[in-house]
Amino acid sequence: MLKDRITYHKGLFREHTELRAQVNTRRAVTLLGGNLVANSRSDDSGVSARVYKNGVYGFASAAEYSDESIKAVLDAAQENALFMDSRVCKNKPALPSVGTGSFSLIADVKDIEQKTYIEFAKGVDAYIASKYPNLASRTVAVRSDSMEKLLTVSDGYNSHSLLPRSFVYIFLTAQAKDGGTVELYQPFGGYGYFSDVFTTPEALFSGIDFLYSELMKKAEGVYNDAGYKDVVMHPDLAGILAHEAVGHTVEADLVLGGSVAAHNLGKQVASELVTMVDFAHTALGQPVPLPIYCDDEGTPAEDAVLIKDGILTGYMNNRETAQHFGMKPQGNARAYLFSDEPLIRMRNTAILPGKDKLEDMIAAIDDGYYLTMTNNGQADTTGEFMFGVCMGYEIKNGKLGRAIRDTTISGVAFEMLKTVDMLSDSLIWSCSGFCGKKQPMPVGMGGPAVKCKVNMGGR
Amino acid sequence: MKSNREIAIYVLDALKKAGADHAQCVVSTGKTDEFNVDGGQFSLMRSLFNSAVVMKALKNGKKGVITANRLDSEAIDKAVQDCIAAAESSVADEAEAIAEKVKNDEFTTGVLTPDKDKFFDRVQEYMDDVRRDYPKIVIEQFISKYTYTEQVFMNTNGVEFKNTSGKYDISSMFSAHEGEVASSFNGYGAEFTSLESKLIDLGLQRTLFAESEKQLYTKPVNGKFVGKLLITPACLAEIISIAFENFISDGTIIDGTSPWISMLGKAVAPETLTISLCPLDPAVACGERFTSDGYRSENMDVIKNGVLNSFLLSNYGSRKTGYPRALNLSSNLFVKPGDTSLKQLIASVDRGILINRFSGGQPGTNGDFSGVAKNSFLIENGEITDAISETMINGNLSDLFKQLIGISSETVCDGVTVLPWMLFDGVTITGK
Repeated sequence: MLKDRITYHKGLFREHTELRAQVNTRRAVTLLGGNLVANSRSDDSGVSARVYKNGVYGFASAAEYSDESIKAVLDAAQENALFMDSRVCKNKPALPSVGTGSFSLIADVKDIEQKTYIEFAKGVDAYIASKYPNLASRTVAVRSDSMEKLLTVSDGYNSHSLLPRSFVYIFLTAQAKDGGTVELYQPFGGYGYFSDVFTTPEALFSGIDFLYSELMKKAEGVYNDAGYKDVVMHPDLAGILAHEAVGHTVEADLVLGGSVAAHNLGKQVASELVTMVDFAHTALGQPVPLPIYCDDEGTPAEDAVLIKDGILTGYMNNRETAQHFGMKPQGNARAYLFSDEPLIRMRNTAILPGKDKLEDMIAAIDDGYYLTMTNNGQADTTGEFMFGVCMGYEIKNGKLGRAIRDTTISGVAFEMLKTVDMLSDSLIWSCSGFCGKKQPMPVGMGGPAVKCKVNMGGR
Repeated sequence: MKSNREIAIYVLDALKKAGADHAQCVVSTGKTDEFNVDGGQFSLMRSLFNSAVVMKALKNGKKGVITANRLDSEAIDKAVQDCIAAAESSVADEAEAIAEKVKNDEFTTGVLTPDKDKFFDRVQEYMDDVRRDYPKIVIEQFISKYTYTEQVFMNTNGVEFKNTSGKYDISSMFSAHEGEVASSFNGYGAEFTSLESKLIDLGLQRTLFAESEKQLYTKPVNGKFVGKLLITPACLAEIISIAFENFISDGTIIDGTSPWISMLGKAVAPETLTISLCPLDPAVACGERFTSDGYRSENMDVIKNGVLNSFLLSNYGSRKTGYPRALNLSSNLFVKPGDTSLKQLIASVDRGILINRFSGGQPGTNGDFSGVAKNSFLIENGEITDAISETMINGNLSDLFKQLIGISSETVCDGVTVLPWMLFDGVTITGK
């Protein structure tokens, strides 16, 4: 656990200053066809300072966590702020206060032995190898990461926080009926250290069996028809829709860059069924996948309501953009490594569930698709989005038909969301992987099943 | 403070004493100074005092790898213990090894003393140039930095390389705006070692700014057709890198699922195509001088006159499969230019699109790709016509290489790659 060596140095702050000590850990084990191709541990730790001066920031970081290093980092950040201020001369006012207080660590810091990850991966791999010998390829990847931060600020909340995640990714490849190969992958896991999330490899076996059965259906699958289609998106796709297609466009720094949200505040951007929130730590009475209580600018975290009943109601801000837009900062300024400055990031972004049953949503489509798994997504500041779809089914006359092969869907978020006419009554979260925006960042995303219209690529 | 070499010697000695049969490590230190622009305005100056050690131990044929960024004795001693523990918990694999002894060497690349004031002036000039020459362009984000690095590689076979390097690089994200109308965003990056030129003149930036201004008003392609795809240098590196990752890198060669697994020495493209990886070329800013496996980097042809010349295997991948290892592990893609001008290439297209950015799902091992053509234009009857949106392209990467029908004589250098425009046939293009 990080020792507090930074609070003592608060007396050295000359301008608005954030001083942060941080440790990031990453653990990786990968078995490719039974071969241990990755077996690594990575620790990044250090201290950084950011100084605000008349509308510009100076930042500096160093790995060494000592009194001498902290002083050097503070001096360098101050020097950088002065250099920028002297060359840019923005003359902006001081940042408004967000109050003062503190948040303490609410969980124990752990360090799991590498042997634990390897033995678990071997157990999972042995099951797949013995039960499904006909696979063309199999990969078992264990990934565990954590972020521990100690923050002291000249004006705001001081905090000590911890964010651990652990996942096991299963990648399966099979021969398809046309002689090529088809693949599927599934992450298992979530918030917590590995020993908190996983018990025994056996707990994953039913999930692996389901993944294999889906892969076999995909191997016999057909290519979808290209064009503008009625679809039901599984909650995993709704989550990535919330994050990629809408979430990024309402990050206030991208709004200032000219995103589509700049001209739509207060306007109807989605069906009245759609409400979307970036949750801080609790959603609908339950903990979110990656709870954030205080951000890296010392702002207490609270929920940011982005779309309410189809109306665009807000942006996600840091303290500076909140001042610009006359909004309240809600704790969205997050940094990945000790050497990274806080950027406006999502936390746990979700479309809220509706009242429909999934089976009714499928039954409501005569000719369309049920899209169940995605392997990535990207979106434009115009709201045009693209998701890779790696598993899905035809819907014919209200019933599921043949599985489909890999495809891509696209649309323009604020147009596509207006076609939403049914939402399922369940909210499903995911939090694997990283969001990319200058720095990587763990985020949660979620939603219900969504019935809507999208463009589907195809041969 | 110990030198990187002294730290590397200490690490190897500690790993051996802790039971490693073989070991290697890379120790690096340096500094990055960075200017940031957000929403068209200067926002931040960042200084990073960088340090890192990557160590690998082999014990009884079992591997452990540790990465850490603290170089003090306490941190390194813990990393050594963790590395040995990871190796002891690992799975024995005869393919694991470290590089054999060769002649040791030291390298110096790039500019070792940055000019902070001149660099800032160049960045300020860049912002002014964009505002003046491309008034509809908004620089959403611009990151400009100088990075100085000292790196030492050593292993217990006696291999020792040292590289000292310094380079500038820029990356931008931008879009065009007119009233409430905005183009899709686009991005560009370049690396360089001199401040003698204007930053706006690096690589393809002026072309992309001008094209973004034309992309304010777009149309979806009407219906679906099979047509031609003209890939610009801004997009080509990603397409080739995806293909190489899927077809000739460790993962799919080791498990045998690559569609090119039996294509070594055989034609995978027309004989006009030669693709090389050239980290030592003078056009590259501070290219790789030794690989992470500890081998001296050499330029290499991956595809030569259409024939697959080499897989891109690490030392482990090579020993695992029996195929030769790659002569470098860089991303410095060079494509040999053709003898047709870009203008002639465009004139030869009856119906197709010019694509500047591909936004797509990760293609499967079989190479099937599907995605949105971003920042792109329709080409009809030999002329570029409308800017397009909501238009998807589909095909197979392996087939795409066979469907190459033209390479431009012009190339663009961004300090990392040197690439032409390439024209392919037989791609499914789907609009609304």
